[in-house]
Amino acid sequence: MLESIDLSAPDVEEKINQSLGLLNEKEEELDKQLEALSARKSYLETKIRGITKALPNLQIVHSDSEQLAEMISFTCTLAENVSAKVRQLDVARSRVSECQQRVHDLLDLQLCSDGVQTALSSDDYEKAAAHIHRFLTMDQSVLEQTADDVQQDCSAVTNSLTLLQEAAGQLRDIVTIKFTEAVKKSDAASVERFFKIFPLISMHDYGLEKYSAYLAAKLDEASAKSMKTSLETPSNDKRACVVFADLLTVLFETIARLFEVHQPLIETYYGPGRLLKVSSTLQQECDKQSKLILNEFNKQRSMDRKIALINEVERLGTSSSSSALNSNRLDPKDIDLLLSEISIMHSRYQLYVRFLQRRISNDLEVGIKDTASRAVHLSEMDALIQNSDLCRRMQTLLGHYLLLERYYMENSVIKAVAIDTIDKASQTSSMVDDVFFIVRKCIRRAGTSGSIDGVCAVINNACGALETEMCSALRNQLKLGFPSGYLDLTQAYNVMLQGRLQTSDSEQARNTFLVYLNNADVSSECVTTLCRSLCQELPCATSNDRAKLDSCVAGLSSVTAALGAITDYGLQQLRVSAVKPRIGPWLDTFLTLSHNLTQEEFSNYEANEPFVRSLIANLNMLLLEFENVLTNSNYDALIAILVSEVTTQMEKVIMKSEFNRLGGLALDKEVRSLVTYLSNATSWSVRDKFARLTQIATVLNLERVSEISDYWGQDSASIPWRLTPGEVRQIMTLRTDFRSEEIRRLKF
Amino acid sequence: MEDYKFLFKVVLVGNAGVGKTCLVRRFTQGIFPPGQGATIGVDFMIKTVEIDNEKIKLQIWDTAGQERFRSITQSYYRSAHALILVYDISCQPTFDCLPDWLREIEEYASQNVLRILVGNKVDREDREIPAQVGEDFAQRHSMYYLETSAKEAHNVENLFLQIAAELMEQMRFKELPRYEQEQAHSINGRTTAIGDSCCSRLS
Ligand SMILES: Nc1nc2c(ncn2[C@@H]2O[C@H](COP(=O)(O)OP(=O)(O)O)[C@@H](O)[C@H]2O)c(=O)[nH]1
Ligand SMILES: [Mg+2]
Repeated sequence: MLESIDLSAPDVEEKINQSLGLLNEKEEELDKQLEALSARKSYLETKIRGITKALPNLQIVHSDSEQLAEMISFTCTLAENVSAKVRQLDVARSRVSECQQRVHDLLDLQLCSDGVQTALSSDDYEKAAAHIHRFLTMDQSVLEQTADDVQQDCSAVTNSLTLLQEAAGQLRDIVTIKFTEAVKKSDAASVERFFKIFPLISMHDYGLEKYSAYLAAKLDEASAKSMKTSLETPSNDKRACVVFADLLTVLFETIARLFEVHQPLIETYYGPGRLLKVSSTLQQECDKQSKLILNEFNKQRSMDRKIALINEVERLGTSSSSSALNSNRLDPKDIDLLLSEISIMHSRYQLYVRFLQRRISNDLEVGIKDTASRAVHLSEMDALIQNSDLCRRMQTLLGHYLLLERYYMENSVIKAVAIDTIDKASQTSSMVDDVFFIVRKCIRRAGTSGSIDGVCAVINNACGALETEMCSALRNQLKLGFPSGYLDLTQAYNVMLQGRLQTSDSEQARNTFLVYLNNADVSSECVTTLCRSLCQELPCATSNDRAKLDSCVAGLSSVTAALGAITDYGLQQLRVSAVKPRIGPWLDTFLTLSHNLTQEEFSNYEANEPFVRSLIANLNMLLLEFENVLTNSNYDALIAILVSEVTTQMEKVIMKSEFNRLGGLALDKEVRSLVTYLSNATSWSVRDKFARLTQIATVLNLERVSEISDYWGQDSASIPWRLTPGEVRQIMTLRTDFRSEEIRRLKF
Repeated sequence: MEDYKFLFKVVLVGNAGVGKTCLVRRFTQGIFPPGQGATIGVDFMIKTVEIDNEKIKLQIWDTAGQERFRSITQSYYRSAHALILVYDISCQPTFDCLPDWLREIEEYASQNVLRILVGNKVDREDREIPAQVGEDFAQRHSMYYLETSAKEAHNVENLFLQIAAELMEQMRFKELPRYEQEQAHSINGRTTAIGDSCCSRLS
């Protein structure tokens, strides 16, 4: 450290002192380390002494552990020897118990063969069945083996065996016969008695089959009875229009009751998981019965004739002859009732299907533990339901329902449009309420059928009916236009004097036009409301159903686009015939006035407002004519049209005029009055629409040309300009007092 | 809300068993389903494809061919942008029924709906209808024609992509004279058929 110090350097002393300091610090540190080390010395020595003492002990531990290892391996061999013996013992023991079982079986065999004979001879089938059941639980091959093994007693065992086998056969025959007899005699108690015996004598499938057939027969009987009473229902009875829905309901309820009553019995004596088999037999009977009901339904409700008629009408199109034909023979009220009945039938069917699915799958859940085999059974259940004759018939019926529902909806909508009436008290005519009432009713009815495909189809058809029938009616009316044969005030006064107060044709036409314009606007709202409520009220079982429904509802809601286009079309008609031609002359008066004003003229102008006062009065008159007649949104749209026409035409007359400063000032005030008036007339802000005009007035109201830079510039005070620099220059030239070279020199 | 430029509705029709469901499954899920049951009513599937960097959402309605579902399936014709009429090239009766299907289409579908005739199952050895016969039929009724195999994924992607491209082309064409188009369709009264991009485009 010292070597690195240059002794000749001027700060040598300071450096030496620094080094000294560092060395001192180092010394101190080393001292501390030394002290710490010497402090550990005695501790280390004690440790070493301890270790030295322990060394001989280690020797002992080592020899001990070797001994232990030897002992363990010895024990291990011993244990293995023992366990081999235990295993042998175990085999011996199981042989003994097997032997015991055989002895038991042999004893039981004897007991059973004796018992079954006594039981049979005393007609105690339960006891006999119990013996047979015991016999059947014995391992038959083992029994035969035993017979071989116990040679001396061979004949006894074989005798018992054959005897029991014979008895089993005998019992099977007897029970089968007795069961059949009981069924024939409708002896429910005996049926149940023998039904319980089948599983004891290994006749599960047979028993279930017979029992299902028995239940099916009961169903047949009950259905025949209810069919008979239903067909006797007098036609003036209030259930007469839904007898077939009632019949189908009774059928399904009877089946449900059979399940309720007999499922516990089946489950107790045959075990769970058997319901699917029973259901398939019952379903066949249900198919048979529902076929009878539906055939009778088709006959009594003349379904074929109705379907054929509708098909014919549709094929011919809605020409006059065919509509005469259908009005003669298809009464909408009749169809309405029929549609309600079918939707009830379908909803009952859906309930029935859901009942079956729930019952059977719950039973499978309990009865079949293996998931793979349960899945197979579940798909069998689905196939049973889907491929049933009933299912096919209900699908066909739904098809007919949809055809009728479409016919009903279309014709009702056509009728609502045809008998449309205009009520002075209402902004819309009757068809809007009527049409949406019908459409909503039809869709809701389809909803009660419980079929998502059915609802979706009706929604699709509703979309078609609205677009083809209602939209075209609205469009055709609006295409006739808004008659512009306006009376001015004096003409109106003269008319009044002549006492011709009744509404003229053109006034009526104008009114109809406005009502239809409102119809389009309100219908669009109705569509939106309808769609919203459908999404909320129609239930969907799966997410796929929901997606289907949503996309059909989206299709329906797109009718608003057609209605919007119709409304726009009508509003354009209003622009062309009610707004444009009328405000033209009003604005032209601006041209007749001088805008080169002396101070005195200006005061006069300001006091009398020769232009804007009458313009506002006229606009007011025009708006009053529409204010309460049009819907809010149509009225707002009309004001928008009015504003755009006023501003463009105003611009035009300004561009044809000349101004001095005071003329510009007057104009600025006039524009302000106009904005104020129109702002008050409507709920939305019109200021933005007046931006160009306001800016034109501002330019014309400048004191000097250069003053424009106060408004036009980068600074924050500048306004967003709607005029181009070229336009500003052009407007400035309207000022007689602005010099053209000064305008030309302007920089923007 | 998903981001897509156009939404098109595509409806498949044709006799039961010609392979409509398989075509849709092949296209939407990339599989050839083993032994699924016959379609009941209508099935509904969505797939978004990309044409010229534009996302196009295809809403595919797979209908049941049996007569008893006709009232349900007919209700989807009117708003369809494209109709795919399918027959089985190894089954003459499915070809013989085509005129019946065309009659249905005439009656219920929009006039300017895009119509495509598809001969499916070309993988089969036992062809009964030569390609030329199918093509002639399609030409006579101003339809596009395509032969496919749902089983071997032949031409399936192509079928749907071509439909999407064609519909987009039509839409672009109609979009240019914006105002007049609106006028035109407001007069012929179809909002949901081709030519109404404002409601088809829901993005
Ligand atoms: N060989 C062959 N069989 C097909 C093809 N497409 C469908 N299939 C079979 O035709 C049968 C009916 O198909 P599916 O899609 O249900 O017909 P859909 O009733 O028109 O929907 C099924 O057994 C399919 O396996 C194909 O491209 N080739
Ligand atoms: Mg299918």
